This record gives sequence, C-alpha cells and structure tokens, in this order.
Amino acid sequence: MKFSLAVYSAPHSSQSAASALRFARALLAEGHELHRVFFYCDGVHNGSALAAPPQDEPDLLGAWQALQAEHGLDLVVCIAAAQRRGVLSESEARRLERPAANLAEGFELAGLGQLADAVAQSDRLVTFGG
Amino acid sequence: MSLHIVSKSPFSSTALADCLAAFSEGDALLLIEDGVYALSGRMSESPAVRPVYCLESDARARGLEIPGAVEAIDDARWVALCTEHNPIVSWFK
Repeated sequence: MKFSLAVYSAPHSSQSAASALRFARALLAEGHELHRVFFYCDGVHNGSALAAPPQDEPDLLGAWQALQAEHGLDLVVCIAAAQRRGVLSESEARRLERPAANLAEGFELAGLGQLADAVAQSDRLVTFGG
Repeated sequence: MSLHIVSKSPFSSTALADCLAAFSEGDALLLIEDGVYALSGRMSESPAVRPVYCLESDARARGLEIPGAVEAIDDARWVALCTEHNPIVSWFK
C-alpha cells in the first residue's frame, strides 16, 4: 500500500517528529511504499542541516537522511513555512538575500500543492503533529 | 472506517474528548505518545468506544498498566491498522 506522511511538529519539542520517523521505518519494513513525507508548519525544522543534538539523544535528521538514501524517499519541506522559520536552500538564501543556507541534503523545498498531490497519489495519509 | 490516533494526554488536552465526540461505530481508537495516559482514566471502560489499541512501547515508557480491554500493539501492527482503516485521523490539539 502507498503511504504519505505529513509532519507538523519540530524535532525535540515533542515526541511527534520521532513518531513519524518510527512509523516511516515500520511501514517500509512491512514492505509498503512511502510516496512522500511533507514537512509543514514547525515540522520544517526537521529539514535544518544545522541541528546538532547531543550524542546521547536521537539524531532525527541523520536518521531521515539515512532512510532517504536507502529508499530514495521524497522528503519535501513546505517552502512558505520554511521561509518564515529560516530553513533555506542555497537558491532561496540568494534570492531572499540571507547570509546562509541550511536546508539539509536529502530534503527539498516545494509548495503546499505537493501535500495535496501526496493525498491524491497515496492510499493513506498519516499526520503527525502537536 | 476511521482510525483515530490520539497523541495528547486527556489531562492536558481536549484531543481525546474531541475524538470521542466524533467516534462512530466501526471506527477504532489508537493511543500513542502522551495519549496513552488515557489508560489511567475511565475511557477504557466505555463500551461505546471499541476497539481501543495503544502503542505498547509508549505505555511501558510511562509505566502504565494496560487494561484487559485495550490491545497493546507494536509498530508493525500500527502499520497494519492503518491499512485496515481509512481515513487515519490524528488528534493532537
């Protein structure tokens, strides 16, 4: 079955972002397809390359990137939500005249239409927030 | 029929109450994260809300007993529940 996930919560602010990763791993382990993970609202912070959690805490970013590399996942960060919160690709940083870019490798910026598309293309959408 | 996923404690959020107000026959309820604190209330005794599942690891991490009327599940069963129900409705406010 084809799944997509919507992640509304920032890493390390609640358990929710970790639950999304855990569910993604579980569905892939069960042989299902993960069509897209859409990071929205505070969830865009999951795509920041500058996160540096202590070594004895889960590294959500590294785990998402490893999963992305292994399964070729489509990790999409909402561009409008990301601009507001300072998660920028090289091209967005240039365009908006900001001093640095921090969108992590394996993630891409795109519009909210990609969430609507994920709903249309998938059998199930599971949302992680709060 | 819907799978309702509640991830906030009923002691700090109206997520569970809002979910139960929308719960229909044929739906299922899954408690995850702080939502498992509902296990310590009277919700799990209500015959109108069946079936009730909880993520066993989240309940164990919080030291909660899982009542007999609630089925403790692992991540693989969580995925399976999501294939058996549609839509999946998440309650976290």
